[in-house]
Amino acid sequence: MAKVNLGGVEIEIDEDGFIQDPNVWNEKVAEALASTEDVPNMTEEHWKVVKYLREYYLKYNIAPMIRKMCKDTQVDLKHMYELFPSGPAKGACKIAGLPKPTGCV
Amino acid sequence: MNNTENVQKVIELLKKKISRQAAISFGVCVHCGMCTDTCHYYAATKDPKMAPAYKVDQLRKLYKYYIDWTGRIVPGWVGAKPLKDDKDLDMLMDALYGSCTMCRRCTLNCPMGVDTAMLVRIGRSLLTSVGKAPQGVKDVCKAQYETGNQMAVTKEDYLETIEWLSEELQTATGDRGAKIPIDKKNANVVYTINPREVKYAPLSLLAAARIFYAAGENWTMTSEGWDNTNFGLFAGDDVLGALMGKRQFDKVYELGGRKLVVSECGHGFRATKWEAPNWAKMDLKFPIESFLETMTRYIKEGRIRLNSSVNKESVTYHDPCNLARSSGITEEPRFLLRQSVMDYREMYPNRADNWCCSGGGGAMSMSEYTPRRLEVAKMKAEQLKATGAQIVVTACHNCVDALSDLIKYYKLNMNVKVVSELVSEAMIIEKRIPLKVVAAEEIIRGSGERILVIDDEPDIVTYLTTLFEDHGYKTLSAFSVDEAMNKILSEHPDMITLDILMPGKTGIKLYHELRSKKELLNIPVIIITGINPVDYPQIDFRKFIYERSLPHPEGFIEKPVNKEQLLITVGKIFAHKQTAVKDA
Repeated sequence: MAKVNLGGVEIEIDEDGFIQDPNVWNEKVAEALASTEDVPNMTEEHWKVVKYLREYYLKYNIAPMIRKMCKDTQVDLKHMYELFPSGPAKGACKIAGLPKPTGCV
Repeated sequence: MNNTENVQKVIELLKKKISRQAAISFGVCVHCGMCTDTCHYYAATKDPKMAPAYKVDQLRKLYKYYIDWTGRIVPGWVGAKPLKDDKDLDMLMDALYGSCTMCRRCTLNCPMGVDTAMLVRIGRSLLTSVGKAPQGVKDVCKAQYETGNQMAVTKEDYLETIEWLSEELQTATGDRGAKIPIDKKNANVVYTINPREVKYAPLSLLAAARIFYAAGENWTMTSEGWDNTNFGLFAGDDVLGALMGKRQFDKVYELGGRKLVVSECGHGFRATKWEAPNWAKMDLKFPIESFLETMTRYIKEGRIRLNSSVNKESVTYHDPCNLARSSGITEEPRFLLRQSVMDYREMYPNRADNWCCSGGGGAMSMSEYTPRRLEVAKMKAEQLKATGAQIVVTACHNCVDALSDLIKYYKLNMNVKVVSELVSEAMIIEKRIPLKVVAAEEIIRGSGERILVIDDEPDIVTYLTTLFEDHGYKTLSAFSVDEAMNKILSEHPDMITLDILMPGKTGIKLYHELRSKKELLNIPVIIITGINPVDYPQIDFRKFIYERSLPHPEGFIEKPVNKEQLLITVGKIFAHKQTAVKDA
């Protein structure tokens, strides 16, 4: 585990760059994480997806299925990959402050 | 934590776990060092502790001490050492979990046939039994035991996702009746997937559904036993290994399926096809096939047709270790890609000798070792970079993520896809694309451009010049490099087709000269050559061109020449040149 400065806050991240404590997340942190995931500018659509992911995670303690992500945010699959080039798991989830997904990802 | 208890348990289990194959592998290693350079951990770090023989010695010394008779008589001589405490277990964990992806490249290069990955797996099983495994591996094993799949996807979520993908399939095919069947009885194909395909990355599943649809296959997915991955392989847990296999096999029997097809997952295929029937002690009455084999069959049987001009970007292929080294599946993906893309480039080394993606053996779920994983991914990164390709294609979801990670880390600017995605993109679905339009787009006739054909074989020169002249081009010919150079300087052809293997000076030399002279730099070159000619089956000649720091040739066509592919390439190069001139 290492500490890095994200959006002006010292935050603990794991070796894959995922933040460890969802409570320290804020929009500044998200923007700093976004810059590491090929998302130079967080648009309204990015925020919609990211905030959805965070709320879902805080409620159910698990990342949503891609189907739920697309349906609930009204972003279609193709556009989701355009918004988050590194994909929904490693891109969007990381920016939303979720822990690293487990398994073959 | 009681040290003695853990240590005692590991020693007891070690005595039970040593099979005949393991004892032979421990016994025959002569520490010759052949494996050392073949391991990407060693090759990237030059740290002697990363040599496969050294890593496995951490386990071998215990075998010698507790089991082998030589260790009781001359322990110092044969390197027998006891297991002292939990610290020793931690060191073992670092060697067997943190420094090996079980890719078996060392085994392939071992003159004694030591199966290092098998020994590593035995070592991991000892560690797993006392809870000494990376948290990520433990989590995934737990999810597979408890929920039947590695990402703990609920049945409801899974079925809803399949339904949603059915709707996407309808949009993609324009057929309201298209769907992904679930639990259909007596299907020809029962298809199982990597949970990643429903949880996060459904494009590959959609591609597969589209291909089954176009082939008119009687196929089905299942409501249970649909996860083809198997962390029993990585954790050394035979009980889990058997369970994950059995869940799929039972479902195939229950539905009366004729064949089990495993999606593009390297370890999933290996575990399901080669390992799980043994772990589960089941004598299966149906065949198991990789989706790569299925797609290849569809093309050969004429059930799907592809138009490679759809995929114009340059593509290379990464052989997953579990498919190439452990299952012998190397030619199917190449056949599929050559049918699906315009510019296919080989990677070196390749096939069974390919470097690991760096994420094998469950490494993608071991965050604690990520920095080391990325450091040793250097070998893979250099290999990828040398291809100059825009897309690296593989046939394993785990490789996809490992490659994406290292591409980002080494700033390579490449995309990663699986084979079925490209096949699906290139596929002609008859209902939607009128065939005539596609045919008209393919071959462009020339308008008197002059092409110089260089080849030492008169038959080939006659064939190519006739082909070009029949399609509106003018031709010149040369049978050696010196003759060619004279013609280039005196005639200034508009394009050159160049053979590489010629007596005297080779085509490589000529290519080098062409690309080093400013006034000749603008003449487009298409290399036309045998990749692995009969006399040099081990050498892929493409590397002599692509591994030089020269501009790449405009085209690369293999012998025997596919005339459509050649004419399309020529047409495109001239069209592109015209646009470039206009723009300038």
